[in-house]
Amino acid sequence: MRKLERALEKVVPHTVLVAFSLVILLPLVWIVRVSLTDKLTAYKIPPEIGTFGFFNYADVLTEYPFVSWFANSLIVALAATGISLPLATAMAYAFARFNTGGASLRLGLLTSQMLPPIILVLPLFALFLAAGLMQSRVGLVIAHMTISLPFLAWMLVSFFQGDVAMLEEAARVDGATRWQAFSRIAVPVAAPGILAAGLLGFILSWNEFLFALVLSGPGTQTLPVGLASLETHAGVEIAPLAAATVISLLPVFALLPFLRKHLIKGLSLGALK
Amino acid sequence: MLKKLLAGVAMVAGLTTAASAAEINILMEGVPDTEYVKTLIPEFEKATGHKVNLEVVNYAEMHTKLVPQLVAPTGSYTAIVVDFYWVGEFTKAGWLQPLDDRIKADGVDTSVYVPPMRDLVMQVDGVTYMLPFYNYAMGMLYRTDWVADQANKDAFKAKYNMDLGVPQTWDEYLKQVEFFTKDGNYGVVNQGLRPDPIAMEWSNYLFANGGEYHTADWKPTLNTPAGVAAIEQYANNIAKFGPTGAASFSFDEAFNVFAQGKAYSYITYNFFRPKVDDASASQVVGKADIIPVPGPEAGKGASLNGAWGWAIPKSSNNADAAWEFIKWVESKDVAVKRALQGGSPTRTDVFDDPEVNAKYPYAQALKNMLLTSHNFPVFTYTPQLVEVLGRELSLVVAGEKNAPDALAAIEAEMTELAKKDGKLK
Repeated sequence: MRKLERALEKVVPHTVLVAFSLVILLPLVWIVRVSLTDKLTAYKIPPEIGTFGFFNYADVLTEYPFVSWFANSLIVALAATGISLPLATAMAYAFARFNTGGASLRLGLLTSQMLPPIILVLPLFALFLAAGLMQSRVGLVIAHMTISLPFLAWMLVSFFQGDVAMLEEAARVDGATRWQAFSRIAVPVAAPGILAAGLLGFILSWNEFLFALVLSGPGTQTLPVGLASLETHAGVEIAPLAAATVISLLPVFALLPFLRKHLIKGLSLGALK
Repeated sequence: MLKKLLAGVAMVAGLTTAASAAEINILMEGVPDTEYVKTLIPEFEKATGHKVNLEVVNYAEMHTKLVPQLVAPTGSYTAIVVDFYWVGEFTKAGWLQPLDDRIKADGVDTSVYVPPMRDLVMQVDGVTYMLPFYNYAMGMLYRTDWVADQANKDAFKAKYNMDLGVPQTWDEYLKQVEFFTKDGNYGVVNQGLRPDPIAMEWSNYLFANGGEYHTADWKPTLNTPAGVAAIEQYANNIAKFGPTGAASFSFDEAFNVFAQGKAYSYITYNFFRPKVDDASASQVVGKADIIPVPGPEAGKGASLNGAWGWAIPKSSNNADAAWEFIKWVESKDVAVKRALQGGSPTRTDVFDDPEVNAKYPYAQALKNMLLTSHNFPVFTYTPQLVEVLGRELSLVVAGEKNAPDALAAIEAEMTELAKKDGKLK
């Protein structure tokens, strides 16, 4: 009887976990499968092996401006995150340590996140048009920073509260300046959180669609906008779209080891505090 | 001395070209006709020195991207393409430049366009705002091999006491739909997804029953025997003679059922016709053809018209360069080159071009389809009307509403929209 109970204790959770994993994995497996076949085979129910090869990947790289979409996404995401992260870290530190601007400024920072993006994109469009930044990568980086900066600052505040303050005070007693306490104590202690915030900021920018749609131009389209153009009035280019999706997932997969190590640690650290 | 003189002339010539050369930015959708234009652009760039940048985006997002540009005093786009859905909105808002003076000054012959195109994507209240680009009128794809099969002919004759042939009337077609629903195959595949696919497809059913959307003075004429029959036939076809899930199919899913050889017929955009013979996307190569949607009587077509037009926005950053491009891309030579690549013409002289007819034997069928086609109501609230139609038609297909009630609801909302737009007094 006990044996049965023990077996059940193992089997039931694993069955549930496998079921949940399949829900997440199957669409990915399906996309990989479609990327390796032609449109005719892709739509067949029940599925068939049919034509098989890497021709869709070749198509995506030669027939579509995929390399340009990919490069634009990478440049914009790296620049937006690279500029946002130090600023957000400083902002979060100021909020946590000096209560700069009080609760009203912190809430004010969030208002841009509460508004539907379409409301933000129209004034940005008018500003960029006047400033000559329309259809430029610089404009896109600024636009993406309007999303990531408040989000990252809010996320990081909790990493500078609590025990870190006491460590900093100890450093100050030992003669450290405010800057030294910040750069040598607070930032290293909050490093997992900062890294996690950076990764999330990168993913936010990598996946962002509406700002990139309205503010980009022929040479500055990002991956989400480019991929969406494969869904046309004359049908969905499902096989090249699947191949392009697989390639566009690669950077996120490349970040997975870091995500596992730092993101979960960073998020749980923040939550515990 | 001579060298210096030549160098001077060359420099002046170079400067002149550089000064008149312009960048032409155009926002387009990623459809085959855009690709055909793209292949010909180097010719234009070589001849004029202009640089053309085509920005290709998803159809669903085009409107979102266009509107801020059209509202701006000077936007990023030199020329634009306009779907017939947006014609009423864009012209009423005053976002498009009238082209009549340019047409007159350059002697551009606009009488070459197929007449239904002119009301759809060329003129509004007598003012020319666009030149038609490509058409996406709907036609009927059907299986020629099934119709030609002698066993089918005999069985059809025995069952209906009439010959099986290319359907000439709507009633004849509906009998064929019922007849071919056998042996695991379907008589028809529908695109029942709301709002656009179902609204566009059902419009053909309305015209096929002799119905129209409104009178000349915009009084709705939907809640009529023709309207009721159209909805009931549509719901019946989905429920009894089509594949499971057709009520939520868009054109891609529906076309693939047809391309896999599972359905006798599919009412769809005519630009799908070349795909039928593309072996990488179709199992019915050489086994299907397209005809105008049959009407209530033989020879009376019931196809829904659809098209895009070239326009110059008021916010254009270079209207002269835009016009130069539009004139070139809509010239007969370029229009024929586009058609030879598989494009969907809007000019009668392109449909009649010998080369086009030699390459695409169905060109005349497509021309007839356009000539006998019917237009969807074009006014400021066309997209809203499509939403209403999609909602009500889907309710009938789902069995949650009956046809007269749905039609009454559509008429009521259409009346409101037409009044709001000043079309209906």
